[in-house]
Amino acid sequence: MLTRSRALAGFAAAAIAAFAAAAASADEITIGADLPLSGPNAQYGDTFSQGVNLAIADINADHMLSKTLVMDYEDSQALPQPGVVAANKLVSVVRVPYMLSAFTSVSKAIAPVAERSKTVAVNGGGVGPDLAELGDYFWNVIPLANYEVRAMVPYLVNERKLKRFALVYVDDPLGDAILKELRTELPKAGGELVGELKIPRDAEQFAGIAARAREVKPDVIYIASFGAQQSQIIKQFRDNGVSQLIASYSGFAIPAIDQEPEAKGALYTSQRMDWESNDPVTKRFVTEFKAKYGKAPNYYGANYYNAVMLFAILAQALEKKGEAITGENLLKERRAIGTFNLVGGKMEFQPNGSVIMPMQINEVDGKGGHIVK
Amino acid sequence: MLFLQLLVNGIQVGALYALTAVGFSLIFGSTRIFHVAHGATFTLAGYVFYELYSVAGEPWIAALAAATAGAGIFGVLVDRLVYAPIQRHEGSFFTVFVASFGISIVVQNLVGTAFGRGFVSISSPLSRSVELAPGLYAPPTAAISVLAAVVCFVGLHFFLTRTHIGMALRALSENPDLVRVFGLDPRRLSSYAFALGSLLVVPGALLTGATAGLSPALGNHVMLISLAATIVGGVGSLRGAACGGLLLGLAENLALWHLDPQWSEAVTFVVLFLFIIFRPAGFFGRVVTQ
Amino acid sequence: MIAYAMNLATLIAINAILAITLNFIMGYAGIFSLAHALFFGVGAYTAAWIAMHVSADFFLTVSGAALLASLLSLALALPALRVREVYFVAASLGLQVLGSTVFAEWKSVTGGIGGVIGIPPAELFGIPLSDPHAFLALALACLTFVIAVTYGLVRSSFGRSLTAIRDSESAAAAYGKNVALIKTLAVVVSSALCAVAGALYAFYLSFINVESFVLDTSILLMAMVIIGGTGTVLGPIIGTVLLLLLPAGLSYLSFLPHTEIGSIQQMIYGLAMVVLMIFRPGGLVGGRSLGERK
Repeated sequence: MLTRSRALAGFAAAAIAAFAAAAASADEITIGADLPLSGPNAQYGDTFSQGVNLAIADINADHMLSKTLVMDYEDSQALPQPGVVAANKLVSVVRVPYMLSAFTSVSKAIAPVAERSKTVAVNGGGVGPDLAELGDYFWNVIPLANYEVRAMVPYLVNERKLKRFALVYVDDPLGDAILKELRTELPKAGGELVGELKIPRDAEQFAGIAARAREVKPDVIYIASFGAQQSQIIKQFRDNGVSQLIASYSGFAIPAIDQEPEAKGALYTSQRMDWESNDPVTKRFVTEFKAKYGKAPNYYGANYYNAVMLFAILAQALEKKGEAITGENLLKERRAIGTFNLVGGKMEFQPNGSVIMPMQINEVDGKGGHIVK
Repeated sequence: MLFLQLLVNGIQVGALYALTAVGFSLIFGSTRIFHVAHGATFTLAGYVFYELYSVAGEPWIAALAAATAGAGIFGVLVDRLVYAPIQRHEGSFFTVFVASFGISIVVQNLVGTAFGRGFVSISSPLSRSVELAPGLYAPPTAAISVLAAVVCFVGLHFFLTRTHIGMALRALSENPDLVRVFGLDPRRLSSYAFALGSLLVVPGALLTGATAGLSPALGNHVMLISLAATIVGGVGSLRGAACGGLLLGLAENLALWHLDPQWSEAVTFVVLFLFIIFRPAGFFGRVVTQ
Repeated sequence: MIAYAMNLATLIAINAILAITLNFIMGYAGIFSLAHALFFGVGAYTAAWIAMHVSADFFLTVSGAALLASLLSLALALPALRVREVYFVAASLGLQVLGSTVFAEWKSVTGGIGGVIGIPPAELFGIPLSDPHAFLALALACLTFVIAVTYGLVRSSFGRSLTAIRDSESAAAAYGKNVALIKTLAVVVSSALCAVAGALYAFYLSFINVESFVLDTSILLMAMVIIGGTGTVLGPIIGTVLLLLLPAGLSYLSFLPHTEIGSIQQMIYGLAMVVLMIFRPGGLVGGRSLGERK
């Protein structure tokens, strides 16, 4: 029961639509965002852009830059093909120096576009560990899944005494990456990967997969998927007699999972962020986020706020020196400054353009989640 | 035990495929119209029920009635407004096929724009499995699916063998000229075929919505399965389409025993491809090739 | 704006090649294939593989792509010889679904959904074609070549045999035409030329993945041919231009939500297919009815 034909725009349609209508005025600086705005993963795009819009508003209110900062949003649909088309538009038609990216598969596909055009691409949502190795112009402001798996596995194996893992993973670069991590991390911690269940990205029927998952008698079901599909997997697994604990990575940090009744009690990892911190940047973000969106802030919102703020800090420094705001100079400046004051405290970049942060384990409770470790 | 579980899952899915495929086959057999938009009828019925029951909170029986009426009316309208004018002046197989394809593209995108392109689920306690034997689970929807299929097939059988319209429909599929000679209007009969064939998607649409969720692109899959079941079973044979549907549902689920799920649809179509090359008449059908 | 127009022109040239080659079997041989995107994909993956592992020489990659596509097209020729109408449509659908699955699963070659990343620019006589102007010229040259070949074939005795078979296979056979050979050749030529578009596409985007070669693409191509006019020379080109300019035009209507443009484009061409079939089954250019007459 797999629907191969996707509810996507035809490839050419997406290609053309994305290239149309691009104009920038002289008193604006435009940067780009290549995020999922439609399709089954549009909810991530919504969550990401909340952080982006907040940052743009703050930067313009503080007059951090000499011109007004404007964001050009393009729709990647969380798929590589439309993602590349959108990135090409941002790079060669709009000519942005800096663009935001999300999702492992999209990020891997657009990294060569960024590298070739010397445009900085910053990821705050995708967590495939190979995103750390995509060249000088691809940066990550989110800790990658290897850290997530290394936090979750020892906790479940040692503290919860759950040793047998069954992995349900989506057939794309993210799923492959999580599979690789679990294969190496589980034996080290004394656990065992007893089932590897691969599913297509557009699968919607999981009764058979649930039966196969039950068959291997796992203690934990680890889900590596995203968006609407995650909710379907959880619901259908619970419907079909899978009662084991469900664990996942930061892909669970979206409202749809929080509100899914069957997801209650599921555990997922995320970067650690102290929302109560007295650090002024974090405090401002939390206050404004609550005021603007009427809910508690989330990690994705913070990451994309940080990604835009990072641009403003670098561009401000370049303007002060009288240098042009180009991808090349932004990279040079990031290397020169090294550490940044952003939401969640100090962010220090590794030489490969990624960050390391402490991790935490959250439990889905229908009220935005709470920290269990 | 895994095999038994997959068998149970396969029967549930297969029963619904059989119903949908019989609807397609009934239309194709009696009107020779390659009604690709049958999948669109399926999607529409599912979303009408979802909108009324899950979103607006109407009682399920009212939503069911609306979905049934919606499916029937849509089928008849497509026949009257699109197929009839085409057949009046020309009516080659491909012209009708292309128009039908156009309709399914329009419906898929309308539904996607109205309801979003993700999944929606009809939440119902009936999709929650009970443990029948250690390790063997089945939801009440499985029993409902099989029951719905049996009831519909018995009803259809009586209709086609005992009523005038039913007998005329069968005659139409065997010899349209004969029908005309007996003074029956093939166009009116065609509307009956569309109404009846479209109604048969309703149980499948609702139960799929409750177990696996609905998405706008679902219609494509339904269309592919109906087409494959009709050919594997033999064009013109309702019994063949029912067996074909059940077989495809079983094959899709049993394939999970050894294969990853991404191959199950491909397996279905390899079987179909081989049938077309080596036995185009299917199980029960007449040879209608060159 | 120039960059935008050039991008559009390049994509139109690539898609026009696809529509023309599909029209070659659909309009002249009556072979209604829903598997055209499959050969587009074979061409693209083959060209990408050769460019990354052997040499990025354009003629070498295109020859390789065309060769493999024409070999694999025998799988489409087989049902075309044995069955017609609903059976053939179903068989081509089956091939398309199987092909998309292989593209998604054969990761060592296709990269699955992750795709093939970093395809080098095409080289002509050792000079890399990274300039968009040069690439557009190359795409237009390929388009001209494909038009010339298909037009020449349609006008030849081969083309007359094809239309004879389309209109009545038994009559053509009675006149002593080798129906099997002619049909097979038509499919092989169409797929080989279709692979040229695949190679161009791979070099142009320098990234390809399975999403470009699924059933939706086959349907879009079919819509281009049908809306323009099957069995005509100009029809597929006009259909391509119309369907590709549609989203560009739509995106200037600022009241339409950005994310719905793809959907609206599909609705419009779906509706156009329905309306044309009712009032003008031969398409915008063609007066002749579609397929064979009753």
